[in-house]
Amino acid sequence: MIEAKNVSKSFSDILAVDNVSVTIREGSVFGMIGTNGAGKSTFLRMAAGVFRPDSGTITLDDMPVYENPAAKQEFFYISDDQYFFANTTPKELMRYYSVVYPKFDKERMKKMLAQFNLDEKRKVATFSKGMKKQLSVICGICANTKYLFCDETFDGLDPVMRQAVKSIFAQEIAERGLTPVIASHNLRELEDICDHVGLLHRGGVLLSRDLEDMKVNIHKVQCAFKADSNIEEVLQNVDVVKKEIRGSLYTITARGNADDIRNQIQTANPIFMELLPLSLEEIFISETEVAGYDIKKLIF
Amino acid sequence: MITLDYADRRPIYEQVIEKMKDLILLGVLETDSQLPSVRELAMDLSINPNTVQRAYAELERQGVIYCVKGRGNFVAGTDGLKDKQKEELKPQLSELVKKAQKADMTEEEFITLVKQFYSEQ
Repeated sequence: MIEAKNVSKSFSDILAVDNVSVTIREGSVFGMIGTNGAGKSTFLRMAAGVFRPDSGTITLDDMPVYENPAAKQEFFYISDDQYFFANTTPKELMRYYSVVYPKFDKERMKKMLAQFNLDEKRKVATFSKGMKKQLSVICGICANTKYLFCDETFDGLDPVMRQAVKSIFAQEIAERGLTPVIASHNLRELEDICDHVGLLHRGGVLLSRDLEDMKVNIHKVQCAFKADSNIEEVLQNVDVVKKEIRGSLYTITARGNADDIRNQIQTANPIFMELLPLSLEEIFISETEVAGYDIKKLIF
Repeated sequence: MITLDYADRRPIYEQVIEKMKDLILLGVLETDSQLPSVRELAMDLSINPNTVQRAYAELERQGVIYCVKGRGNFVAGTDGLKDKQKEELKPQLSELVKKAQKADMTEEEFITLVKQFYSEQ
């Protein structure tokens, strides 16, 4: 379990992470989503012990992470901004990582490099961006660590690779209880693989919840009413997040159980009504909008 | 074995439940035959094994499948499933009748069409 308690970090006068508390359970896939500059990467770097938090604590299985080799053996960090030693090759990388990670599986790495068509003797510097990402993912899987931190890892990969990497993750989760922590903007992707999602905005956590609970608890209703309906009254009883009215057509985003919302709105005799669960993308937009991150402000 | 619809807004585990039920109702998965393991299905669909586990747990709770410890999940009979399906069809049918009414379709017209479809199947 990774536990962050009231963690803050600032760089000179920029507050990157502001009093964040999150718990990442074992055996679940944690997705970290956030607006640009919300502090996702900074948080991951603190969890990986690259930065020391200004205040608060981060522990990995009850061990502090910063400057602690015992804790660092338990995770592999795939940075968005990858660094490889000058003139290194995948083969040398393998030798290096097997010193750092006692459980590193060299045979597996050789096999995977062949499967992914990466030449183990070619210099990493001559690899394309996507190939470097593939290489990092392979190293991360073969390191046999309990946790895998992925910072925008899927972004540089093509659709086939993404499917393949997700499949490999699924296998590792099922077989040895790997706990990936994935920071990404690609919400569609996270939706497939994550159990738990933390939403960061301006350095703070807006929400941290199981994905399914999140989806069950927020809905979009499209409905139309006759002019004399008492819809406004009825809406007093519904936890409305957002309401858009175009003529007699209402688009309402509301929190709560699907049946409750449906029954409430039914009492106002809609001409028609359709209730849809929200996609993660829409949840992201509506939750950050409530926090003052409004798309309309960006356009005008 | 099953294909996910990424444009579908429902949670993935609900889709897995529904598609599995369809396969069972269609007889593709016969009674007492084994379902793919959680790991296999998760890898096949590139989704989280916990999601598959959740879908299987729900299917087991609904009595559609049964679990044998250490051996895997198997299809239970389809009788209960068919009854349930009939129940689930009722609201859909009522929706359809509403739509038909809006289009000024009479009860006779509707029933004639239904009878025609039944005889065609």
